[in-house]
Amino acid sequence: METHGVRLTPEQARSALADTEHIRASAAALSATPWPNWFFITLTLYVAALPVIYGGVMADGDWLLPRPAWMTIMLTSTAVYLALFAVAAKAWRNKTGVALRLDVLPKRATVPLMVGLPVLLVGAAFAFRVTGRPVWLIAASLISAAASVGFHLAFVHLHRKTA
Amino acid sequence: MSAEFHDPLKGFDTTIHAPNRLRICALLDAAGEAEFGLVQKQLDLSASALSKHVTVLMDAGYVEQRKAVRDTRQRVWLRLTRRGRDAYQGHLAALRAIVGPSDPAL
Repeated sequence: METHGVRLTPEQARSALADTEHIRASAAALSATPWPNWFFITLTLYVAALPVIYGGVMADGDWLLPRPAWMTIMLTSTAVYLALFAVAAKAWRNKTGVALRLDVLPKRATVPLMVGLPVLLVGAAFAFRVTGRPVWLIAASLISAAASVGFHLAFVHLHRKTA
Repeated sequence: MSAEFHDPLKGFDTTIHAPNRLRICALLDAAGEAEFGLVQKQLDLSASALSKHVTVLMDAGYVEQRKAVRDTRQRVWLRLTRRGRDAYQGHLAALRAIVGPSDPAL
């Protein structure tokens, strides 16, 4: 078939498409490189601590610590987390040589996380405020930590599978 | 009301079609942005050959570059422009049209 003066057979076109698919797969493996372990641990600790901290902020009256102390802990831990995220992201980009993308995992995994984690965080803190039972915060903390570990393992699996 | 017929072969792009340029576009499309050295390594190209192809793609408005310092050395990051991404997708559509709609592998 002649296209813009270039003669191309279906076999040549198929070969070109197969080549691009091969390159896409190797780029996908790079994009799925998991976080370094130190940041994975930081992230897991942060998401595990957040429900408890948020519960302290939202508690009806002082719980374990005065509310301003919980607020200070929340702001400080978030600032530290964001600073470490910036360091980890830069190191990750330098190591892999590709852009950090948030669309590597399928949407069926990421959308429930984006919706579920805020609901879990606010819901657990609200339930704690209403009932006064910290088990809500502990459960939310454990679920958040499990989600972090699960996503890390998904990246490890995807990275190995596509590499 | 009229239905417009869109010929996928019109998306065939001779600038992209050169084998190494097609591979460069494929890598940048999948990676979002990639460092020059990584592209060179992944596609097994010499720096001068890659530079030549990147210049052609940049002249066509398909690729843009960004310079960043890493470990006191300047690194070049490459990415497809919006126009480049559209042209690449159009070219893939043309290749698929040439192969035919019945190929289950593509």
